[in-house]
Amino acid sequence: MFRAIVPVLLLVALVGLSVALDRPQPPADLTFGNGNDVTTLDLQKMSWMQDLRVARLLFEGLAANDVFTDGYDPVPAAAERWEVSEDGREYVFHLRPTAKWSNGEPLRAGDFVFAWRRAILPDTAADYSGLFMFIEGAQAFADWRSDALSEFARSRPAGQSSAARAEAARELWAETERRFDEMVGVRAVDDRTLVVRLDRPVPYFLDLCAFATFYPVYPPLVRQYDRLDAETGRIIAEAGWTQPPRLVSNGPFRLTVWRFKRDMRLEANEHWWDADSLAIRSIAIPSIEEPNAQVLAFRTGAVRYLADVTVPYRREMHARKQEFYREHWEEYVRLLGEGHDQFEIDRRLPDDPRAHVHVVPAFGTYFYNFNCRPALPDGRPNPFADARVRRAFAMCIDKRAITEEVRGLGEPVARTLIPPGSLGGYESPGGLDCLSDASDEAGRAAIAGRARALLAEAGYDDPSRFPAVEVLFNKDAGHDLIAQSIARNWQKRLGVPVRLAQKEIKVFRDDLKNHNFMTSRAGWYGDYGDPTTFLEINRTGDGNNDRDYSSSEFDALLDEAARETDPGRRMSLLSEAERVLVERDLPLVPIFHYCTVTMFNAHELSGPNPHPRTNENIFLYDVLGDGKGSDRVRTMPLHPRGPAAAGVAGSGGGAP
Amino acid sequence: MIVRRLVQLPLIVGVIYTLTLVLAWKVPGNPLENPEGRKPAAEVVEAMKAQYNLDNFWKFYWSYLDSATGVKWVRESLSGEADRREREALESGLIPPARFVFDLGPSLQYKDYRVNDIVAAALPVSVTLGAAAMLLAVVVGVAAGVVGAARPNSIADLATLSVALVGISLPSFVIGTVLLLVFGVWAAALPVGGWGKPANMVLPAVTLSLPFAAYIARLTRMGMVEHLSSDFVRTARAKGVHELRVLLRHALKNAFLPVLSYLGPATALAMTGSFVVERVFNVPGLGQHFVNAVQNKDLFLIMGVVLVFATMLILFNLAVDVLYRWVDPRIE
Repeated sequence: MFRAIVPVLLLVALVGLSVALDRPQPPADLTFGNGNDVTTLDLQKMSWMQDLRVARLLFEGLAANDVFTDGYDPVPAAAERWEVSEDGREYVFHLRPTAKWSNGEPLRAGDFVFAWRRAILPDTAADYSGLFMFIEGAQAFADWRSDALSEFARSRPAGQSSAARAEAARELWAETERRFDEMVGVRAVDDRTLVVRLDRPVPYFLDLCAFATFYPVYPPLVRQYDRLDAETGRIIAEAGWTQPPRLVSNGPFRLTVWRFKRDMRLEANEHWWDADSLAIRSIAIPSIEEPNAQVLAFRTGAVRYLADVTVPYRREMHARKQEFYREHWEEYVRLLGEGHDQFEIDRRLPDDPRAHVHVVPAFGTYFYNFNCRPALPDGRPNPFADARVRRAFAMCIDKRAITEEVRGLGEPVARTLIPPGSLGGYESPGGLDCLSDASDEAGRAAIAGRARALLAEAGYDDPSRFPAVEVLFNKDAGHDLIAQSIARNWQKRLGVPVRLAQKEIKVFRDDLKNHNFMTSRAGWYGDYGDPTTFLEINRTGDGNNDRDYSSSEFDALLDEAARETDPGRRMSLLSEAERVLVERDLPLVPIFHYCTVTMFNAHELSGPNPHPRTNENIFLYDVLGDGKGSDRVRTMPLHPRGPAAAGVAGSGGGAP
Repeated sequence: MIVRRLVQLPLIVGVIYTLTLVLAWKVPGNPLENPEGRKPAAEVVEAMKAQYNLDNFWKFYWSYLDSATGVKWVRESLSGEADRREREALESGLIPPARFVFDLGPSLQYKDYRVNDIVAAALPVSVTLGAAAMLLAVVVGVAAGVVGAARPNSIADLATLSVALVGISLPSFVIGTVLLLVFGVWAAALPVGGWGKPANMVLPAVTLSLPFAAYIARLTRMGMVEHLSSDFVRTARAKGVHELRVLLRHALKNAFLPVLSYLGPATALAMTGSFVVERVFNVPGLGQHFVNAVQNKDLFLIMGVVLVFATMLILFNLAVDVLYRWVDPRIE
C-alpha cells in the first residue's frame, strides 16, 4: 500500500516546494491594470498604447506633454529649454544639468543621437520610423543604407573567407556611422546641447519629442545586444536589455521586476531630476489580460486604476453611470455648466460604485474603407473607383444606429476623420450627410434617393445589377455586428447585393495590405497633435493607405500645408484637404469617434486626464488620503458652458 | 528499457520538430506585423524578416536547430566570442546578457523576451497548478469512489455519480466563472486571479481538478464494486475482518492500480492543457502559449513550447512507467 501512495506524495512535495519558493511582492503605492501586457520596452520599436504608457513612466524625452492643458502643450522635460530658428527648421535643445540615467550617469545629447539613429537605420527600424523622416537627410541616409545592404548581400566575391566577410561587414558599418554623422541633421554639439535640423518646418516637432519613439536609450547597454551579422552586414538587435535588473532608464521610475505574464514593478528613480515631485513611489502592474478578470480585480480593490476596459458589458456599466447622473441631475448640470472636466464632476458628486467607470473621448476614428483601385483583384472593374459611387454608399449608412444600438457607449457619430475639438486651432469641415442625419423616414428616403441618383449618374441605373459588394472585417470586437448593420443599410436603401466576408485578423490584415477587398472596416488613432497624423494616411503611396486612394489635389494641399509657415493658413489648408476627403472623394466613411473606457474612483485617485489624446502620465497620479504626496487634485482648465450644457448631458463624455 | 527510450528521445523530438515547423510555417499571416499597429515601410519589413531568417524555410530550419540543440552555444564558447562580450559588459559596469545552452530563439510577439525566459517563467506555474489539481483529484475522486462503492445505489452513491457526471460534462470555463463569482466576488473569500500566493491557487486548482476527480471517482467505484464482489473479499469478510479494513486494505489496494496508470497521462494533460483555466483565473502558465503562439504565428514560441512539451511528455511517460513497475512488481 505504501508504494501506491508514493506518486501522491510526490505531487504533495512538488506543490509544497513550489509554494515555498515563490515570494510575493510587498504592496505598491499604486496598482493599475494596463489593458494588455507590455509587448516591448524597446522605445524605438514600440507602438502599442500599453507599451507607451509604461515608457512614459520609465523614460523621458526632450519635452513632455502637459496633459492638463487643452492643447497638450509641450513643456521642458529632459531638456530645460530650447530655441527654434526663424525658419522653423532648426531646434537647439539644452539638456538639464541634473538629467541622469537610473545608474547615476549623466544623460548626454549623444544618447539622443544614438536612439534616433536606431529608429532611422533600416536594420533596426520599426513601426514608427516614418516619424523621423523629416529630419534633414534621414530619408536619404536610410535609402543609402538599404541600398548598401542589398549590394552587400548580392556581392559575395568567390572564395571570400568568413573572416574577410566579417571584416567587410565591419567596414560597411564604419562607413554607415560616418555617413550618418555627415548626412543626418541631428548632432550633439557637446554633452548638453543637441541640434536638430529639419527638412521643412514641422509645427508639431516638439509634440513628437514628447512621444516615446523619440526618447533616449542608454548606449552602452543597448550596444551589448547589437550584433553585426557578417553574412548580411546588418545590425541584429537582440532582446534582453529591457529586462530588470539590466534596464537603465532616465524617467521618473525604474523597472525592478518584470515577470512574464505575471507582473511588473516600478520604483521611484532617485536619480530623476524631479524625483521629489512624485506622490507615488512604487507602482505594481499585475498582468491581467482577460477583460472580465480586470473588472473583477478593480471591484475587489486589487487594482486602483484600469486603463482600458473592454468587457462586453461595459455598455451596461455606462448606462448605470448615466442613471447615477440622473439621480444627481441638478448638481450634475450645474457642475457641467461651471465647466469642470468629467473626472472633477465625478469627484464633486457623492461617491458611488456606479460612477467608477469613465467613458472618455479618444483621439481615434472608426471608419469604412473603399478600395479605390480601378480594378478588383480578380480583374473585374471596381465600381468604387468612382467617387460618386463611394459618396452614394457613404450616405446610406445609419451611423447613429451603430453608435446607439451596436456600441452603446455614447460615442459621437463621425462626419470627419479627425475628431472635432481634439486639436487646438483646427476647424473641422462639415462632412457629408448620412441616413442618421434625417429626423424621420421621409428624410431618410430623400437621402437614399439622392444616393441612388448618384449611382445612376455613375452608370448603375439598375442597382440589382451592381456587382455584389463584399464587406471585409475580422470577427473580433463586435465588428461583425457593425458590418451586418451597414450591409442591411446598403441592401435596403441602395438595393445592391451585399456579401459579408469575415476573416481571421492576420488574414484580414493581409487582404487589406494586398488591396484584396471592396469595402472593409478600419480604424485609426492619431499619434501626435496635428491634423497630418490622420490626413497623411490618405496620401498617394502611403504605407497605411490601404484604400490606394490617390488624388493629386489632396496631395497638393498636404504639400502646400507642409511648406506654409503661417500656422493659421496651414491649418485652413489642412482643413480643406480633409474636406476633399470627407465631402467629395470619400475613400473612407467615418462612422464614429472612439471612446476609451477607464475605471477608477475619482474620490480616491487624482491624475488621470480626460483629454482625447489619452496619454496618461501615470507618474502624476496621486492616491488621495494615503499620506503620501500633496493630495493636490489635478484638473483640466475650466470651460464654463452655461445652462446649454444640459443638452449634451447623458452623452459619452463632454468634449474637453 | 530506460536507455533505449532515452536514445529514442532525440529521434522522436526531431520528427516532431520537423512536422510542427512545416505546419506552423504554413499558418497564414505575417508574424512581424501588429494586427492593429502602424505599418513599417516595405524595406523595414524585409529587413526584419531577414533578421529572423523568416525569408527562407531551410535557413530557419537549420539555424533554429543550430541554436536549440546547443551547437551554437558550444561554438561561441569555444571561439571566445562569449567571453569577449561578457568582459565588455562588466567593463562598462553593466550586467552581461544572459546566455542559454539550448537557445529557443527570440519571441516575435513578446519582443523583449527570449522563448527560454517565457518557458522558464511559465513552466513552473503550469507544473505546480497541474500537480495541485491532480492531488485534489486523487483525494476527492478516490474518496467519492469508495463512498459510492461501499453502498452501491444508495443516495450517497447517486449523489457522487451525479456530481461526477456534472464534473465531466460541464466545461471548465463555466465551472471556473461560477466559482470565481461565488468565492471571489460575492463571498470575497479568495482572490479573483493572479498567481503567487497559495490562496491564488485554490480556485484554478479546484476547477482544473474537477473533470479528473470525476473520472477517478468513476474508475475507483468501478474497481471497488468489482473487487468487493470477488472471492478474496468474501473470504476476508467471512474471517470477520472489519468492514473498513476490507474496503481500504483489500478492495481499494487493487482498485487503485487503474487509477495509478491513469495518473500518468492525466498529470501531463493537467500540466499542459490548462489553457481555459489559465485564462479564466489569469494564471501565467504555459497552456496559453499553445493557443496564442499559433494565433500570432510566433514561430519561435510555437517551436520552443512544442519542443519543451514533447521532451517533457516523453520523460514523464518514462518516469510513470518506471514508477508503475516499482509500485506493482508484477508488471513487466
